Amino acid sequence: MLSAQSPRSRPLALALVGAFLVLPGRALAQDPEPLSAFELLARSPQLGGSDIPRDLPGRATVGAPRRPRAPDDSLPMPDLGMQSPLPAPELRAMSSGPFRSEGEPVGAEAASPEVTAEGSAADVPMGMPSPLSPHGVPSSPLSPVPASTTALLDSSRSFQVVPAAVAVVPGLLFHGLAPALAGDGHTAKRLFALEGTGLGLIALGGVPIALTGASRRTIAPLYAVTLAGFSVFGISAIANLYSVVSPTFDPGVPASSLPPVEFEMGYQYVSDTSFAYDHFVSLGALARFDEVKLEAIARLAPDEGNTQVRLGGAYRLLGEPERNRAGSDGSSLDAELYGLFHRFPTEGFTVVGGDVGFRGRYAMSRVSPSLAGSFAEASIGMALQGYSYPGPVSDGNLHSQLLFSFGYGVWLGRGGGPFKGEAMLFYDHRKDGFAGGIRGLGGGVVGNFGLRTRALLTETWGVAAEFQAGGALVGRLSLVYALGGES
Amino acid sequence: MSRIGAMGMLSALLMTGCLRPAENRAVRDSKVGRAEGGGLSLEVEDGLAAVRSVGSGEVMLWGNAPVFTARATLSADATSNWVLTVRNAMPGAELLAELEDGEVLAVEPVPQVLPTVKAWRVGLRPGAVARLRVAPPGWDSTAPFRFAALADVQEALPRVGDIYARLSKDDSLRFILFSGDLTENGTREQLLEFQERLEAGSPIPLYATLGNHETFSKDAEEYTTLVGRGSQSFVFQGVRFTVVDSSNGTLDPIVEEQLEGWLAASRQGTHIVAMHVPPQDPVGLRGGGFANRGESAGLVGKFAREGVDLTLYGHIHSYYSFTNAGIPAFISGGGGAIPETFDGVGRHYLAVDIGANEGLREASLVRVD
Repeated sequence: MLSAQSPRSRPLALALVGAFLVLPGRALAQDPEPLSAFELLARSPQLGGSDIPRDLPGRATVGAPRRPRAPDDSLPMPDLGMQSPLPAPELRAMSSGPFRSEGEPVGAEAASPEVTAEGSAADVPMGMPSPLSPHGVPSSPLSPVPASTTALLDSSRSFQVVPAAVAVVPGLLFHGLAPALAGDGHTAKRLFALEGTGLGLIALGGVPIALTGASRRTIAPLYAVTLAGFSVFGISAIANLYSVVSPTFDPGVPASSLPPVEFEMGYQYVSDTSFAYDHFVSLGALARFDEVKLEAIARLAPDEGNTQVRLGGAYRLLGEPERNRAGSDGSSLDAELYGLFHRFPTEGFTVVGGDVGFRGRYAMSRVSPSLAGSFAEASIGMALQGYSYPGPVSDGNLHSQLLFSFGYGVWLGRGGGPFKGEAMLFYDHRKDGFAGGIRGLGGGVVGNFGLRTRALLTETWGVAAEFQAGGALVGRLSLVYALGGES
Repeated sequence: MSRIGAMGMLSALLMTGCLRPAENRAVRDSKVGRAEGGGLSLEVEDGLAAVRSVGSGEVMLWGNAPVFTARATLSADATSNWVLTVRNAMPGAELLAELEDGEVLAVEPVPQVLPTVKAWRVGLRPGAVARLRVAPPGWDSTAPFRFAALADVQEALPRVGDIYARLSKDDSLRFILFSGDLTENGTREQLLEFQERLEAGSPIPLYATLGNHETFSKDAEEYTTLVGRGSQSFVFQGVRFTVVDSSNGTLDPIVEEQLEGWLAASRQGTHIVAMHVPPQDPVGLRGGGFANRGESAGLVGKFAREGVDLTLYGHIHSYYSFTNAGIPAFISGGGGAIPETFDGVGRHYLAVDIGANEGLREASLVRVD
């Protein structure tokens, strides 16, 4: 779990562990115990060892994942049916889907380094019943997966309209319902657990907030817990949909290396009835080092004069550096520090401040194999900002702000070719950006929602786009130029 | 294609609604104080009173300012004998009725039991336009005075009488300036109960803006009908009071334009601005202020440049004293709604001493419990 490159950050790793407690680790996938080829095969999907419909872009996976394909008659398939060397209880323990007796993470075996390194799990036909597999022996007491289960598992590996529809209504309220209908009981249990965790955190933070009248003495930790609950709830809601829609496409993989330097230039439009500005030039620069990332962002309104500049960077505490994350599933934790300068000439004030916080990203394949290709992201921090009013106004203001965001994203690109990137639906709690917060029934409590994407189309050229909806609508489209290219 | 167009239209409307959630209320405000019935066309200037009923020789208003003027146009065939009743009026309020040419019309007070309910018999002239001004004596002086600032009664409505009882002990208070959240959900029944309890318990009137809880019911339609405007401005004894509808954590552009006019009108005088949701929550991590911090910073900066002397807010159920852009600011959300714990305050109101020439003299916290 911990990056060997940041031994000084071990204490912070404990914080990450706390943050990720709600998400079960991929324990079996990290099992260092060497397995024999026979055991590997016994754990293969043909024996119900996994309900993974395809390979995982997991930590130990390098290269493009493979789609399930039809059985290849040329592949040697040993007849293990009734003669499995593993005792029946062990086999049952490794069985997958909704009929598993225990909640062990299915598919983790297939994502283990040993499996992927040898290509066993990826090369064998997955999701398809083999004529030599126990699937064909439904009455066998050693059969890890009953025939009925097999049918469900097989069906779960293809897109189904009903689960996809259910994922929206009532799936947005009952997370896990869609994969359960699709026969993916493992994912269903995990998502229900996530949803329960989210609701529990919301109650844990929200009820005391209500009872204390949002007391100034306790609001900060309670607010953070409540928002964490909403983030887990939101992530499980989208994961619910993703799990049943993902069979329609190959899952993306995180780029094994990102360019050392990127430049960005584009256009931003802001529709806000409270401000005179609307058109912006968007500029950005990003430099990646081993564990450090430096970033500069500017938004300039040529006609109105509004100017926003953000300078700062991130230090990778956990996970592989973006410059060289081959073999990583993209999970990471960064410490961030940014400075802000924002001038509002028409409104007659200037904001100068700083943000400090943490940002973590978690590969959702660790939650369930059917969520491979997606990730969850969350950040928490605090901003301190001074507002100054040039001219006759005698006094300014100093304000703090709770920073919190979460999102659910997918990696774009399949490992081959230069096309790489990511897209993420997100919620951002901060109220000092162009989008601001939603002007709702409770005043200005809720932040904004958005979709952010960035992709390199060639080795050096790419695009970045963002849409945010809060109190204002913000759209941005930029051209990205990368030095060093992506791999 | 038409379906796509309809979807696009719907999306655009939804987006517009999200961007300007207070627009309908701002538009509705412009209709407050206008009504017709029994041959009488009534228009209260600046919407400073809500017309509760008009017709059959009777007019009933709910005053939302200590001083207001109505323009009454009587048709030629209408009766000339009218009874004007003003609820939520200043205790000593008088009616001055005069025609456009300056002729003063006969007015006869009708005794009332409640101190904030006033009624007069007035002989209007059919086919003529009359100006009806309701104001207490000395309303146009510049003498200093005291008023109470209060907000956020909500679900504590059954206990609000305690606050009125405490207020009654201070004879120097002229009226209550209420910064929103009169009721829990803003229903007609709740608002009527609020007004009945006010009249029964308070010796002074209460002039209000709405809070976000009033918008929970039909986007505050009942509030507009029963109480009046969410955004308005009046002058009393040389001090301008402006209340604006910030219940969605923003000001609608219509309100902002009105506000600029009110700010300009009192640039040299004493000016108090009140609203429900404060532009800036003094506890930044909580973020109970406006939805956009840039908008809030711009707004308080504008207040400072235009010489606003005092800002009063609600929404946060406690007492805070701070400054925004150098302007003294108070949150007095002590009306009884779920109180902020560990603050050592409880139910309270603010007693503010102010004068047209002196500006803000003193603001004192008055505990109720």
